Amino acid sequence: MVPFSKGRSTILASALTALLFLVLAACTSPQSTFEPRSNEAESVLTIYIVVIAAASFVGAVVTITMIIALIRFRARPGHKARQIHGNSKLEIAWTIAPIFVLMTIAFPTIFWIVGTTREPAPDAIEIKATGHQWWFEFEYPGLGPNGTSLYTANELRVPVGREIAITLESDDVIHSFWVPQLVGKTDMIPTRTNKLQLFTPNEIGEFWGQCAEFCGSAHALMRFRVHVDSLGDFGRWVRSMNSAPAEPSPGSAEARGQRVFQLTGACGRCHSITGTASQGRIGPDLTLFGDRSTVGSGILDNTDENLRAWIRDVRSMKPITDDGGVAFMPTFKDTLSDAQVADVAAYLKSLILQ
Amino acid sequence: MAANIGILERPLAPTGIWSWLTTIDHKRIGILYAVTASFFFLLGGIEALLMRAQLAQADSTIVGAETFNALFTMHGTTMVFMVIMPAGAAAFNYVIPLMIGARDVAFPRLNAFSYWLYLFGALLMNFSFFMNAFPDVGWFGYAPLTSNEYTLSSSTNYWVLGLLVMGTGTLAAGFNFVVTILNLRAPGMTLLRMPVFVWMTLITAFLIIFAFPVFTIALVALMFDRFFDFNFFRAGSDPVIWQHLFWVFGHPEVYILILPAMGIVSDVLPTFARKPLFGYTTVVAAGAVIAFMGFGVWAHHMFTVGMGPWATGAFALTTMAIAVPTGVKVFNWMATLWGGSLEFKTPMLFAIGFIMMFLIGGLSGLMHSAVPVDAQHQDSYFVVAHFHYTLFGGSMYGLLAGLYYWFPKVTGKMMDERLGKVHFWVMSIGFNLTFISQFIVGATGMPRRIYTYTEAQGWETLNLMASFGAVILGISFLVLLVNLIRSVRNGEEAGANPWNAATLEWAISSPPHHYNFGVVPTVHSLYPLWDEEANAIAPPEEPAHEEPVMPSPSYWPLVLAFAITMAAGGLIIWEGHNIAGLTVMSSMGLLGLRAIYGWSFEPAIVEEGVPAHH
Repeated sequence: MVPFSKGRSTILASALTALLFLVLAACTSPQSTFEPRSNEAESVLTIYIVVIAAASFVGAVVTITMIIALIRFRARPGHKARQIHGNSKLEIAWTIAPIFVLMTIAFPTIFWIVGTTREPAPDAIEIKATGHQWWFEFEYPGLGPNGTSLYTANELRVPVGREIAITLESDDVIHSFWVPQLVGKTDMIPTRTNKLQLFTPNEIGEFWGQCAEFCGSAHALMRFRVHVDSLGDFGRWVRSMNSAPAEPSPGSAEARGQRVFQLTGACGRCHSITGTASQGRIGPDLTLFGDRSTVGSGILDNTDENLRAWIRDVRSMKPITDDGGVAFMPTFKDTLSDAQVADVAAYLKSLILQ
Repeated sequence: MAANIGILERPLAPTGIWSWLTTIDHKRIGILYAVTASFFFLLGGIEALLMRAQLAQADSTIVGAETFNALFTMHGTTMVFMVIMPAGAAAFNYVIPLMIGARDVAFPRLNAFSYWLYLFGALLMNFSFFMNAFPDVGWFGYAPLTSNEYTLSSSTNYWVLGLLVMGTGTLAAGFNFVVTILNLRAPGMTLLRMPVFVWMTLITAFLIIFAFPVFTIALVALMFDRFFDFNFFRAGSDPVIWQHLFWVFGHPEVYILILPAMGIVSDVLPTFARKPLFGYTTVVAAGAVIAFMGFGVWAHHMFTVGMGPWATGAFALTTMAIAVPTGVKVFNWMATLWGGSLEFKTPMLFAIGFIMMFLIGGLSGLMHSAVPVDAQHQDSYFVVAHFHYTLFGGSMYGLLAGLYYWFPKVTGKMMDERLGKVHFWVMSIGFNLTFISQFIVGATGMPRRIYTYTEAQGWETLNLMASFGAVILGISFLVLLVNLIRSVRNGEEAGANPWNAATLEWAISSPPHHYNFGVVPTVHSLYPLWDEEANAIAPPEEPAHEEPVMPSPSYWPLVLAFAITMAAGGLIIWEGHNIAGLTVMSSMGLLGLRAIYGWSFEPAIVEEGVPAHH
């Protein structure tokens, strides 16, 4: 039986290559590792390409040799197998040759690892990220009111062109912080502080991240965003985050919502809004919530409808298991009316940059 | 028939269900392992297909989060511990004694014991499904997610105890095969005249002996955390210690999974290339070097944990280094094909497929050893694709090569060649479609272990392709099933050596007599059946002048395995306070002691009425 004729194998190879390009073209993602938007992600991609090239080279050599062997040495009448047992020279040669290929991977790797030990630039933005089941807390030491910390959650804001130095911790189980277009991941482990690889974003935009270490039932829905702003916009955001929000006009939905938030629903016990009576630190900080792209740790667009659904019944939006007694947001569908929920949503949506 | 020390009469009939329950014949135990592994393969396959059904579309609701998390946990645990390892054990059990000219393994009852522990441990873990406690913490169960704080249900308890029960059997088998291979070889079979499969089994057995105890310790420590409020891995301690303990076991474990398949391929290729394995000594040495170095690479599973530059760098280099002996094996297999006279029978197709698929798996693994790239690969589908290429494309293809190769020896019938080829090609198309899609979707940032994703993340097309491939893959196994059933019933008669192969198992009848070799052969070379002048083996159908006396069957291995498993179940029920659990544990403990006593004092051979054939 002839497995491949030369003609058939060429056609097959071309078809597969075409399919590959078609697929690659069709498949892009806001989380693609092949679309770097920071200096770090770019240099990692360079190493990635070197590594793909090295692997492909070896793969091609073996594959082509295999195809030739299968065709040339197929059993045919009168064809006898050469009874060879081995060849020491060849053994030495193909033990040593791969070492050279490995060098092309080893050197960039070691240089990169050495690079991870450097200290952040003096003007780096320092952030402490803490993983929780199932949301991300971000703290900017020293950028808060009176030199305290500035807190936010699930949507990180950083200035373009500045080095970002993020340390990683966890409040419960192991999580992992991964925003592929900006930087490779590092785990968030309880009882220790890890340092994420330093990176400098080089494009303004919104980049998608996701927890990358299985952390329980809602792991798939623990996502986050990184907003890369101009330095000016970043500064405006910090100032706004540290200011009290404008008082809602009396009698408005926002005013009613603020009352429900602070009194009826006691939301302030878990959630903070800077400059208001709500100072809880159990759940995500909601200062300037109206400017966020998403609700519920990066999983839904921040629309009125989604926000109301979230407040009303978090457990229908995220698979929270109470296995282990995770302190997660309660549902409010039985304690707050639809009108009250709508008011709270309106209040939160009113918390925008001034 | 004499009833010996046992309360029940010792069943000695050669046929019927009791003969299977009390068998200590390595050939029957091999068949038991193979059939049981096939059943769990079906289970693990269904778990996979359910996941792929859920992931085929964005925001799908076919399967919910909790169920999906249990599915990926059990798919991994099942395939590793209840399918690939036992399928390897099936091959060791059936073939190793035959290849070394022995009549059985060194400890036949211990051998049966290993099998029953596998079956019962696997059933214990899967029983959790009916208790609504299906393990859902991932197949490597990272702390502190597995602690009581975060996983209240007994799902993790079933996982831990099922693994401890199965692991005991595996460890026993490790010792059994080391002793067998070192002591029971036919005269003239020096170590360097053993078939490569025997060498790889020996090395694998050593890996088991050194790696499994580490896993056992980790699991026992986790058990103490969960049952008795200890603090090995919880907050206040260091959860990363679990990862170290797990992967010190876990990495050698993957070599335990691949070396037997490499051994099978190393014996199949020469048979169908009609020439000796190129570089036998080097291939054997490379296997030993890989096993040894395999203990020095474990933390490459932990590059993103923040171990610091020295540890990370050291493990990156050792991981790259292990590519060298692995590559040496691949080159030697290629050189075996080169210059041969290649017959593309089904076992050969799978052996060649093994080389190509394992190549992709191994090279993608090499890519992860570049630490910066691993920061983008780790915990994504890129890794999932990598290990499916090595475990399925590698181990499974190798084991299938073994299945098609040795089926004639086990049953005396040939399998259908055309169906074999259909299986190979359909499976290869499905397999590659599924996992190439996963390489790409991983490179575009899709993390693993997520039960859903949104359309905006851009992964739907690739996931749909992967799911489609999985269906094709599943269908290919139906072809195998049909082939197996038809061949067992109506296969062409095989004879002793249908492949004209070189090793000792082909010198005896198909299927072998229960005593294997009437006259133990003397071996003068690596390829006893190919070296005419050195051939001192009696023709296959020779009747023994006096049929060799074989050890009698025994039920104590089954009883002891049962007692151990039920005691483990009792422990799960006990949960520190439950009287029912305590009762079960105590009574099963007593039963176990009774079994050990019975096992120790029963005679190996029952004097009167030993049956002549099976």
